[in-house]
Amino acid sequence: MSGLLEVTDLVAGYGNGPAILNGARLSVRPGEVHCVIGPNGAGKSTLLKAIVGMLPIRAGDVRFKGESLKGLRPDQALRRGICLVPQERALFPAMTVRENLRMGGYSIPDKAELERRIDGIEERFPILRERRGQRAGTLSGGQQQTLAMARTMILKPEIVMFDEPSLGLAPKVVAEVFGIMKLMAAEGITIVLVEQNALMGLKHADRGIVLDLGKTLLEAPADEVLRDPRIGELYLGGRSEA
Amino acid sequence: MADIVQTAILGLALGGVYALMGAGLSLVFGVMRIVNLAHPSLIMAGAYIAYWAFRLAGVDPLLILPVAAAILAGTGVLLYKLVFEREARSAKYSEMTVLLTFALAMVMEGLLGTVFTNTQRVTSPDYATDAFFIADVFIPKGQLYAGMVSLGIISALALFLKHSRFGYPIRATTQNREAAELLGVNVNLVSLASFAIGVGLAGAAGALVSFVFSFFPSKHWEWIVILMSLVVLGGMGSIFGTVLAAFILSVLAAFVGFYVGAVWSTLTFFVALFVVLLVRPQGLFGEKPELA
Repeated sequence: MSGLLEVTDLVAGYGNGPAILNGARLSVRPGEVHCVIGPNGAGKSTLLKAIVGMLPIRAGDVRFKGESLKGLRPDQALRRGICLVPQERALFPAMTVRENLRMGGYSIPDKAELERRIDGIEERFPILRERRGQRAGTLSGGQQQTLAMARTMILKPEIVMFDEPSLGLAPKVVAEVFGIMKLMAAEGITIVLVEQNALMGLKHADRGIVLDLGKTLLEAPADEVLRDPRIGELYLGGRSEA
Repeated sequence: MADIVQTAILGLALGGVYALMGAGLSLVFGVMRIVNLAHPSLIMAGAYIAYWAFRLAGVDPLLILPVAAAILAGTGVLLYKLVFEREARSAKYSEMTVLLTFALAMVMEGLLGTVFTNTQRVTSPDYATDAFFIADVFIPKGQLYAGMVSLGIISALALFLKHSRFGYPIRATTQNREAAELLGVNVNLVSLASFAIGVGLAGAAGALVSFVFSFFPSKHWEWIVILMSLVVLGGMGSIFGTVLAAFILSVLAAFVGFYVGAVWSTLTFFVALFVVLLVRPQGLFGEKPELA
């Protein structure tokens, strides 16, 4: 099955420093949830950043619908339909909730259309309507994550990539976050998820990708990754489903 | 009592000018994280444009202000493209830009000194030496006009940032550059525009400064400390904070000048800079710095 997004032999790193990714591969299938796991320093976040053009690609390629994304800036990748929600939500703390949503649709030229889409988002997430005039920096962690996730939906992207969406959140809030992700997947949005809580991430995913030292060790259905005793021992704290 | 009112009015009038002088510095820092040490020397260039336009053609500094702003904004575009753009992805961006702006300030000082000499200049339209009198209180027309025009420009800037389609991405980039980039903002273009606006504001401030203060090329070293104290007290990157700090410190400096002695007036800004960095480094409206 041909991937919507194909990452092949990717080499990337920060500035003039050593390469963090050393031949990573990834095949993203349309409409599915993909969870990338691996130990600290494996290159998970670097992979997402390189895909959207936040880091230059030194070798290898990233192809979206058959076209190379090499050399594109993040705003250009976004216009193709790929959206990244980085760690710590990346909100604009001094802007209101509504203004943050407007920034989510920054690349939509039709202002009326943008407002209509924001209204639609507020209908789906009533908490955002209740808090529309509140500064984003004063929201709770869970509300901030909801805003960050909902904001991506304004553009109706084809792929949304989340970097550690559960970071620093209470277990109940984490469940809500994964609930929103499920909602997005049900709407046909393809999801790539980097998650430290590998067990939780894989349980909500269709496919699992294991990275180590910048290389892809395994790409398989998520339940297979969960059952793999080696992976369970190495990355899931010995809690494989086998 | 009249002395207190008089001193406060003089401080407030100067505060407006300082606010505009600091606003461009604050905007550039907010968006680009560049402490533009050359900002006061660019203000100086604006002051020379106004001075020579008045001296050679009798053009009022208030009328030449948009021209000075436009010339400096164009200079800002050139500087950004030639000097700062290539540093944007540098791992040592902060260090490099401090050194680059320091070097730029030196070059500007040398150029202005060579072309215009180090003679003290001041533009002298009629209102610069005139005043309004209300009972025992006088309000210098020059400072009043300069302060009002400054506030008008800053208000226009605030409206632009708050409501225009291009203001949103500038505010967003100021608050979270990475997030803005990920939401489709061309942060390089935003940086270019912000730098041009910031330097353009320096040009506008220069036109006003030309009839409020006497100036000469190396005076920018005194101004940078004053402007840094405003930007630091206001909170690095907060234009509103800078404006508020300009009024607080210039009124304070006016009182120090009146009650302690004129020579101590400028020291108020230096002491404020030191104390703020020591006690509250994030200033009034800045983000609290992270501990290493």
